[in-house]
Amino acid sequence: MTRLTGGLIDRDTPLDFTFNGRSYTGFAGDTLASALMANGVDLVGRSFKYHRPRGVFAAGSEEPNALVTLREGARAEPNTRATVAELYAGLTARSQNHVGTLERDLLAVNDLLSPMFAAGFYYKTFMWPRAFWEKLYEPAIRRAAGLGALSLEPDPDAYDKGFLHCDLLVIGAGAAGLAAALTAGRAGARVILADEDFRPGGRLLSESDLLDEAPASDWVAAVHAELAALPNVRIMPRTTVFGVYDHGIYGAVERVADHLPTPGDGVRQTLWRITAKRAVLAAGAIERHIPFADNDRPGILLAGAMRAYANRWATLPGRAGAPVAVFTNGDDGHRTALDLRAKGVPLLGVVDTREHAQAFGDYEVFRGATVTGTRGRRGVTAIEITRGGKAKWHDVGALAVAGGWNPNVHLASHHRGRPVWNPDLLAFVPGADGPRGLFPAGAAAGQGGTGAALADGVRAATAALADIGVTAPEVTLPAATDFASAQAAFWHVPGKRRAWVDFQNDVTVKDITLAHNENMRSVEHLKRWTTLGMATDQGKTANISALAVMAEITGRTIPETGTTVFRPPYTGVSLSVLGGGDTGKHFRPERLTPTHDWAAAQGATFTEVGAWLRAQMFPRAGEDHWRTTVDREARAVRSAVGICDVTTLGKIDVQGTDAAEFLNRVYANMMATLKVGRVRYGLMLREDGHLYDDGTCARLGEDHFVVTTTTANAGPVYRNMEFAHQCLWPELDVQMISTTDAWAQIAVAGPKSRTLLERIVDDTDLSNEAFPFMACAELTICDGLRARLFRISFSGELAYELAVPARYGAALMARLMEAGEDLGVTPYGTEALGVLRIEKGHATGAEITGQTTASMLGLGKMVSVKKDSIGAVMSRREGLAAEARRLVGLKPVGDDAPIPAGSHLFIKGASRTLETDQGWVTSACYSPGVGSHIALGYLEHGDTRMGEVIVAANPLEGQEMAVEVVSPHFVDPEGVRLRD
Amino acid sequence: MTDLTPVTALGDATARQARFGALRLAERPDVGLASLALRKGGSAPAPFGLVLPGPGKAVFGEKASAYWTGPDQWMIEVPGQGTGDFAAALREVAPGVSITEQTDGFTVFEVTSDSGGASIDALMAKLVNVDPAALGPGRATRTGLHHMTVFLVRRSQDRLDVIAMRSFARALWHALSVAAERLEG
Repeated sequence: MTRLTGGLIDRDTPLDFTFNGRSYTGFAGDTLASALMANGVDLVGRSFKYHRPRGVFAAGSEEPNALVTLREGARAEPNTRATVAELYAGLTARSQNHVGTLERDLLAVNDLLSPMFAAGFYYKTFMWPRAFWEKLYEPAIRRAAGLGALSLEPDPDAYDKGFLHCDLLVIGAGAAGLAAALTAGRAGARVILADEDFRPGGRLLSESDLLDEAPASDWVAAVHAELAALPNVRIMPRTTVFGVYDHGIYGAVERVADHLPTPGDGVRQTLWRITAKRAVLAAGAIERHIPFADNDRPGILLAGAMRAYANRWATLPGRAGAPVAVFTNGDDGHRTALDLRAKGVPLLGVVDTREHAQAFGDYEVFRGATVTGTRGRRGVTAIEITRGGKAKWHDVGALAVAGGWNPNVHLASHHRGRPVWNPDLLAFVPGADGPRGLFPAGAAAGQGGTGAALADGVRAATAALADIGVTAPEVTLPAATDFASAQAAFWHVPGKRRAWVDFQNDVTVKDITLAHNENMRSVEHLKRWTTLGMATDQGKTANISALAVMAEITGRTIPETGTTVFRPPYTGVSLSVLGGGDTGKHFRPERLTPTHDWAAAQGATFTEVGAWLRAQMFPRAGEDHWRTTVDREARAVRSAVGICDVTTLGKIDVQGTDAAEFLNRVYANMMATLKVGRVRYGLMLREDGHLYDDGTCARLGEDHFVVTTTTANAGPVYRNMEFAHQCLWPELDVQMISTTDAWAQIAVAGPKSRTLLERIVDDTDLSNEAFPFMACAELTICDGLRARLFRISFSGELAYELAVPARYGAALMARLMEAGEDLGVTPYGTEALGVLRIEKGHATGAEITGQTTASMLGLGKMVSVKKDSIGAVMSRREGLAAEARRLVGLKPVGDDAPIPAGSHLFIKGASRTLETDQGWVTSACYSPGVGSHIALGYLEHGDTRMGEVIVAANPLEGQEMAVEVVSPHFVDPEGVRLRD
Repeated sequence: MTDLTPVTALGDATARQARFGALRLAERPDVGLASLALRKGGSAPAPFGLVLPGPGKAVFGEKASAYWTGPDQWMIEVPGQGTGDFAAALREVAPGVSITEQTDGFTVFEVTSDSGGASIDALMAKLVNVDPAALGPGRATRTGLHHMTVFLVRRSQDRLDVIAMRSFARALWHALSVAAERLEG
């Protein structure tokens, strides 16, 4: 165990965990990284390409190396950063990307072959033979180079989503964030304080700075307590704000149960969509390193991370008792030396690149020196310090590297905001063109000193609140100091050996040089060629150092070199939580018809039609093929009576003194002349003159109509009618509203439909004289239930549609079955419905595709020339008017066989080209009425080619068959039955 | 009186109720609903003594309630009228306007809290992108919930009506009960 004194861990709460099957113990407050370190485990993974031994490098979400697979079985989560994995009792983790044990990774041979794996390696090497890529190269590369593997099992946990609203969102609960939240909270504003850590405080927990001469954690605790007590403040720990979206919307993931073995009955994570009037970005800064030869060994950490492990988690990497060295280009690295000294850790000293560097305490300073090499197979054991051209090796247990701090400009650079180079800070700071309403503060804004960050938090919150008219109170901040922060622009140690820039992607200074030599001059090209800045850490510890190296090579400045584009998410977000928690059956809500339960009880199968579930067919015992069922249902309608729930067709109630005029303009055919108590078939056109939708329009009163639409277009037609009313003709007195769900509508179809209905209507004469084809009425059925009856027919038979309030739909269905038992009443589903309408030659969405016209359906004359309507003029335009394809029926010639829907139609013997294409098959089925397979299709001049034998061809599947052109009305072409 | 037996939007004989900690969900099939839209240039009637409210608002009278659904459009609701011809009854007290029966067009789910408005606010945060602070008592809005369109009517701090298309009843009940259970269960 390597534990120091102090720290913010609860030594009374030990937690057992395992890593690679071995048991260890940490404490509450530990991360997996700190607990491993405290147990002397420094080697935690293997690098991406070269399989080099790697250890913990950082102390936060920027970690590039310490990626583990957390948990087991279906819950196994690859690529989890050990530095943010909160320790819990029973935690299990495994290292990744090695063959054999972590200690003896067989693929470490890759490191010896490293000259092969330079920048652009994949692009250059696996060019030939091309056929080898998919089967051989890619699987081999994916095995050799990579991160963790998925369990390939379904995620067993629940996820959730939600929406929050606030005046001020404070991102980050460090010095600046706490000061901002305190300012806004005291002002009475609605505040959300989100922080990715499980404990608020940010760097205040990791530094030894005093606030009001007491440990900073005291002040953090006091502020946290005050904020928690304010009803207008919501504190969200374990919550990462990952993206800034339009109109002040921020995406955030709350890790609700990631710190528990399982979520139990709760959710693992929640995706929050936060709408904030203003936001303060107090996301802190990320330290950068200084690339030098062999700088990637376990035990080499960022200096700030080393302080965090020492101060917050009371631990250090490396052999206990071995001296620790610091390599820095500025004052900040000296803080690590001071803090370690205060903890009683032996120091080798501080290697400072500056000639005139001063010690801040009692330790040795190697002035004007650099680290030029390291040794140690599974962890650093010695470093080479070079000063004035003289190199000397020194034994160390660990090395801290301080290259300066990069303000965390990620979120401030969304919306294409470009960070701006600050030559004094030697860092990019948020630019002015970032997301509107987002106020960077503290270290994220380049104000990284403790006192400066506190003050800047107050400043940013005050400014943000002033923006929305809220006056912030005076906030007294604790006394704090800012440590010296002088720094030299020293970016990397030149040398011949590999010096890593991006640890996660194994990209070295040499790779960047090579990429430049291969003409990858744009920073975006550099990124793609070398993969620098990609993968799970997105180069958080690498990008700026890479830019500096690139700038040096090209002779440009760093700002001239520029940054790559920042995009959400800031850190990885699981697809499960992005899905919002709705999976399987509940992924999309279903709409159920009023007779759904009744149909299910009859053993119906269902089919999805948009959001609706409709009964597809009602198989009976002994029917072992779907065709048997569908044929029976269709025959029942032709010979007796069938009933079918058609509630899903859209119903729009249209009222007003100008309702008739309005419908005249919406429908292509004349609608104003419709008499009260009558129904008319109607066509609607698109603006461009093509067919849009068809349906019926019933006139219930002088100024009251009910429009029906197809199921699929119920919403769009209603929307278009609203648009026409609100935007095209607001002068018309029209009111409309959807009533689709209000009425259960049952089709009652077949020669015995009248007999059946006469048994349930109250005192209404349904004789052909009193209630002819296309009549409608409001009436009562079954002793007083209000209903609507429409005599319309989709099947071509004598048929009606009967509507009752939806709550009575199931009872009506049962009553019809009961009352019609002796008539042979049969429920039918959408399959039989389709057969019946194809037999009759009635169109559906297969014929009305948005690319077809009324003329093609043979209904060109319905587009009235006596009035204007939507699409009417465009339907007569040249080209569209010349369209010669017409709806025809098709029957197989010779042996009966299915006609593949979608087949194209050709003259017999013609070549199969676009030029010779004469149309296509729109719908096809087996017709029990005709006794063979039949189809509908559009055919050039089809209306004049009855009896001709043509070819229906499906070249994709090598199908073709001879078909005879017949009338599209296979059943009752004169329309006698429906008028009977 | 018809001899056909109605079922609720959830397919049950009686209204479904459920309790999740302080939150209670109840189906309200007894509520009669009808839409009321003014004819062009017409003036608003005062059905059942209701002063029809402005945008985003609802009014609750002794017998009836109304909430704004669009320019010159409202939904009127009366408890105890689930099976009656409420549209006809409304026509009698509000002549000269366009009225459409909506009782079975929608399902009304009543959410009540035994612990004040905070539980309702928390439930809303899990379901709708509406600021609970902007949906206090007397407010109503139409919004999306799990891909469905719903009306939200805040009758009081501790009561929120969620009104969705009837065909979505089961999906909405599922969404409400899962969210309530996670909050309170």
